[in-house]
Amino acid sequence: MMDIDTAALGECLAESITSPITREQLAQYAAASGDSNPLHLDPAFAKKAGFEDVIVHGMLGMAVLGRLLSAHFAAHTVHKFDARFVAVLPVGETLRCRARLASREDDGITLDLEALDGQGRLIINGSAQLAAGI
Amino acid sequence: MSIDRSHLGYALPAFTVEVSAARIAAFLLAIGDSSASSTVAPLTFMKAIEGEHNSSQRIMETLGVDLRRVLHAEQQFDYLGPIRAGDQLSVERRVTDLYEKKNGALEFIVIESSIRHAARGLLGRSRQVVLVRNPVAKAA
Repeated sequence: MMDIDTAALGECLAESITSPITREQLAQYAAASGDSNPLHLDPAFAKKAGFEDVIVHGMLGMAVLGRLLSAHFAAHTVHKFDARFVAVLPVGETLRCRARLASREDDGITLDLEALDGQGRLIINGSAQLAAGI
Repeated sequence: MSIDRSHLGYALPAFTVEVSAARIAAFLLAIGDSSASSTVAPLTFMKAIEGEHNSSQRIMETLGVDLRRVLHAEQQFDYLGPIRAGDQLSVERRVTDLYEKKNGALEFIVIESSIRHAARGLLGRSRQVVLVRNPVAKAA
């Protein structure tokens, strides 16, 4: 486990990779989150919208980044968490998530976050502000 | 701009959401985190809370936006206190900005939400930017 107190700025503190995201997962996420936009569920609707197939909910990608924060920074409290959905992720793709140390403050740290697809294409970038202690 | 500017400031009537452990557990399962405790809401669960009662779709309908044209562009959460199973929460959502880029080919809707507990006060804020991709006018 990386020591946050000694890590250099820019250093990767945590990383994760998902299995390929399936249609079943999208249906499960739609039901659990209440986001039933057919872009994520109905291939015919997604085609009419200009995509080859259904696309992964941006918020599912952000949730995977959130898991990285909860799993690796459990001794911190998250105060802010933001994401920009840079590109759409087609169903069947994996997401590789990374958290890098962006800055260190008296009372906490700021992380740069990114999620890439299997080809290394940037899908989501973002940041999180964490305070030491829970 | 095809979205009527008069919708700026549009607010949904405040609504109440009951957070159950079963709902948190279903959300954790859907995001692949079934080992986590379902007593405290995970970081992005605010999205499920604010989306209750089909509220996002209702906002898009009020603004006259076709769901085929929308994409989620940005999302931000502020955390002021933990959201726990058993919490009864009050949610307010409002359209706080409307703007366009590329001569109206891209329109942006900013929706801000607040999530409050009667005794513990404001627990979280959410700010969402929705991108609307308008058809580009073709030359004759």
